Amino acid sequence: MARRTKIHVGLEIGTSKTCIVVGEVKPDGAVKILGIGVTKSVGVRKGEIADFPQVRACVKDALAKAEDASDVEIGSVFLAVTGSHLQGVNNRGTFRLPDNQKNILAEHLEEACDMARDVHYPQDHVPLHTIIRKYLVDGLEQTASPIGLFAKTVEADFHIVHGIGNRIQNSIKLVRECPLEVDDIVFAPIATAQMALDREQRLRGALLIDIGGGTTDYALYLDGAIAASGCIPVGGDHVTNDIHLVTGLPFSKAEKLKILEGNASADPSLSVGIAKLTDENGFADVEVKRAILNEVIRQRLEETLRLVRDRLPKGGVEAIGSGIFLTGGTSLTNGFSELAFDVFGRDIYRPESTESTDSAHPSFKDPQFATAIGLIRYAQILETENSRPPGCFGRLLRLFWPFGA
Amino acid sequence: MISYSRDPHETIPSSAVKIVGLGGAGANMLERVALDSIEGAELLALNTDIRTLGSCLAKEKIQLGVNLTKGLGTGGDPELGQQAMLEAESKVREALKGQQIVFLCTGLGGGTGSGAAPIIARIAREEGAFVVVFATMPFFFEGRRRREQAETSLNQLAVLSNALVTFDNNRMGELVLAKQGIHEAFSAADKMISESIKAVIRLVVRPGLINVGLDDLMSALRTTRSRCLFGSGIAEGKDRASKALRNALSSPLLDQGSLLKDAQTVLVHLSGGESLTLFEIELLMQNLQKHVPEHAHVLFGAAIDPGMGDTLSITLISALPEDALTGGTRDSISQISKSIADLDSEKEDVPEIENPFSKIDKPQPPADEEAVAEESIPEAPEPIEETDIFAEESEPKHSSSRNLPEPRAKLNRSIGGGISSAPLFDTEAGEEPQPAPEPVLEQEESEERPFAEPEPVRKREEASPEPEPEAMIEEEEPVITDDVPSRFAARPELKTRRSGKNIWGKSEVKPADEAGDGPFKEDLPDPPAPTTQLKLGAKAPGSQSELAFDSAPRGRFEGENPNVFDGEDLDLPPFLRKKKS
Repeated sequence: MARRTKIHVGLEIGTSKTCIVVGEVKPDGAVKILGIGVTKSVGVRKGEIADFPQVRACVKDALAKAEDASDVEIGSVFLAVTGSHLQGVNNRGTFRLPDNQKNILAEHLEEACDMARDVHYPQDHVPLHTIIRKYLVDGLEQTASPIGLFAKTVEADFHIVHGIGNRIQNSIKLVRECPLEVDDIVFAPIATAQMALDREQRLRGALLIDIGGGTTDYALYLDGAIAASGCIPVGGDHVTNDIHLVTGLPFSKAEKLKILEGNASADPSLSVGIAKLTDENGFADVEVKRAILNEVIRQRLEETLRLVRDRLPKGGVEAIGSGIFLTGGTSLTNGFSELAFDVFGRDIYRPESTESTDSAHPSFKDPQFATAIGLIRYAQILETENSRPPGCFGRLLRLFWPFGA
Repeated sequence: MISYSRDPHETIPSSAVKIVGLGGAGANMLERVALDSIEGAELLALNTDIRTLGSCLAKEKIQLGVNLTKGLGTGGDPELGQQAMLEAESKVREALKGQQIVFLCTGLGGGTGSGAAPIIARIAREEGAFVVVFATMPFFFEGRRRREQAETSLNQLAVLSNALVTFDNNRMGELVLAKQGIHEAFSAADKMISESIKAVIRLVVRPGLINVGLDDLMSALRTTRSRCLFGSGIAEGKDRASKALRNALSSPLLDQGSLLKDAQTVLVHLSGGESLTLFEIELLMQNLQKHVPEHAHVLFGAAIDPGMGDTLSITLISALPEDALTGGTRDSISQISKSIADLDSEKEDVPEIENPFSKIDKPQPPADEEAVAEESIPEAPEPIEETDIFAEESEPKHSSSRNLPEPRAKLNRSIGGGISSAPLFDTEAGEEPQPAPEPVLEQEESEERPFAEPEPVRKREEASPEPEPEAMIEEEEPVITDDVPSRFAARPELKTRRSGKNIWGKSEVKPADEAGDGPFKEDLPDPPAPTTQLKLGAKAPGSQSELAFDSAPRGRFEGENPNVFDGEDLDLPPFLRKKKS
């Protein structure tokens, strides 16, 4: 079926930057970026909105830039949300077929799904995503829909992402006031995973870690299905803050030092001497011992990665076949791959760090925009299965497809 | 280059330096000095206890109180010690005759040390010597009585000596590791004192490339009733300049270098072998500059001593006014009141002040005295009466320049403090104006509020039509706002200005006469101490508006709730968290 090219817009309100990406989905599934509008975020702390008017102003600014860059009038967006309150849990619902029925019918599956979705949410939490991971037919894993198969019990394994309802509502409210319509809300790492991981990688097992300015989001895919996801409220800002607290340097200098001179690998040859930061304005140079700088950065990032590792299900790390995929601004820290390798012991993939691009044409591969671009891909997938004629299959696919294969 | 060797011509012959050890502790210190084989000084031991005297290594020994204590000690009674000393006074005077520098080492708190030390100091001063006292204060566990005895004696010594270095026994713990024996602790303390003595002797006895002499030493220790700060460090090898400075600054007598921050004058003496380089001196002085205030007067001396070889030694001597160490404001208030009491008796003396405006000034001194009384004790009901008297007095005496005396008198109210303290020195009738500057120093702070009074008064002065008084007024306008010395400059009594200098000079030579001076001078450094304390105090309540889990600084995340994750606050750097654990 021929699909007209549809334009999707992804909005990510991050701790360090707010970006809107306008993308065009081609009939063959390829995504073409029309334009990106980026602005520095103010009023967002650790991924969560702290100051509404300021954030609204940022979104409007990014909107204007994106519209300008892409020459498209933006009416609705896909919103990526993150925050430490968002948690991903796996839940399984078992349905025992009645004795007289041998085949799994749609209702049975529905029943199992309902049970699976019935997770005890903490107070104030609402489900954000309910994603099917796999089905089990008499204990045997099935990735495809088991309808029609002979079985006694059917189980549905779901991955449910839930978070504080009011905060999510507030984010939506903020975007609506821009004014922009919200097509859908997506948990950030899941959006990023759409773009960063391809099918084969997901099948083999992949862990995506997106370390942004205020949060570290992760999503683990095993056997093609999402196995874990979550958010740790530590990000690049914490690294800068650490440098600032330990060395006493002002924040801006600490930031520059982190970017230019910091190194997270524990390479002793790189920790010799003094890192100097010359100031064009003519103020005194800033000097810090490399050993301390690197140690501070490394300890913070190592702790963060260990926290991620601890959150993964048992045996999760070992099951990762293809590797760890790092994205996000902080992943550009020098030596980060070595550190990640030390923590996980798996192949590390990093997006290439791009040279400074002017804001009019930010590179599509820039890891800072991974999430926003991932939203477009998500939109496209959603679009694809929505456009299919609804039917038995279609309904099931809608549940299943965008998140699995 | 023509090289010529300097003759080590000694400025002060060794026979003119004497180190006196008084009492048991003094004898120990003396032994330490003797063991370190000091050159350029003679040793003299004084004691009531004949046993310790006998075992002492000093060349000269004098037994105190031969008849009084009969070879036994004083039993911890300073009275006995004093009398014993007086008994042997002539012998001690004989021994100290002709000495230029006398180092008196004693341990205060007991009988001989506390009782005899002030007298010896007096004798030495009378013989014209420069007296440096090294005194140790008793341990806390020795009890309050000994402590009080020690402090009484210390106060007397502070007045009588040119320089006073105290070492508190309680700080002995800083000198040695906790597990070392007490014998080592005591010997470390003795060693430190002997180092100090040696350093001072080296400083004044041997000339150097850049000379510091007794005059510089006196200038460094100028304030009477001051405590001496002393630090000495020796180092050798690579980086010896920094090491030596660090050792010097870490001396307990310097309180780890923090006390230097308030010093006004610092005497630095460097001594090294032939290999001493200019670079090292520069480096050392630069590092030192960080520890002393910018406006401090640094007296620098350097000497080359071939015998030192590769070692470099630095000696830091400075003095802090007593109250900067102890912060005792209470004493000064009691002394002010004492001065007020004496005011009335001194009215006759004041008219001796010369000034061109004698007609006008005559009534002022009494008015000033009253005014001082008013300023210092605002609560007292007397001042009210006195001002009335003042008004009455001034009226009949000045028919011509009426506006003038009143404003001037009121002005003088603030300056009057200077004159009013004159009463203290009734022994020096002709020298009233001289002590004037000091009390005003002390009055300055207490009169900050009263300055508001002179200000409206000032406006009236400006309107005054008289040319002469105007000239005076103009001079005096800046007086109110400026600090004390200019106040005196403005005063028509030129003598006071000259005498201001004399006072400083005088204080060097006859501290005994200015016993009352000291407390006033001490007031000057006081206010800074309370204000800094105030500042600290003011800070604390403001920032503690809510209970914080952790007082660690959180930089960017200051004021946010702790980001607790699995029991740890993620906002704190792991670098610091791990350091704690």
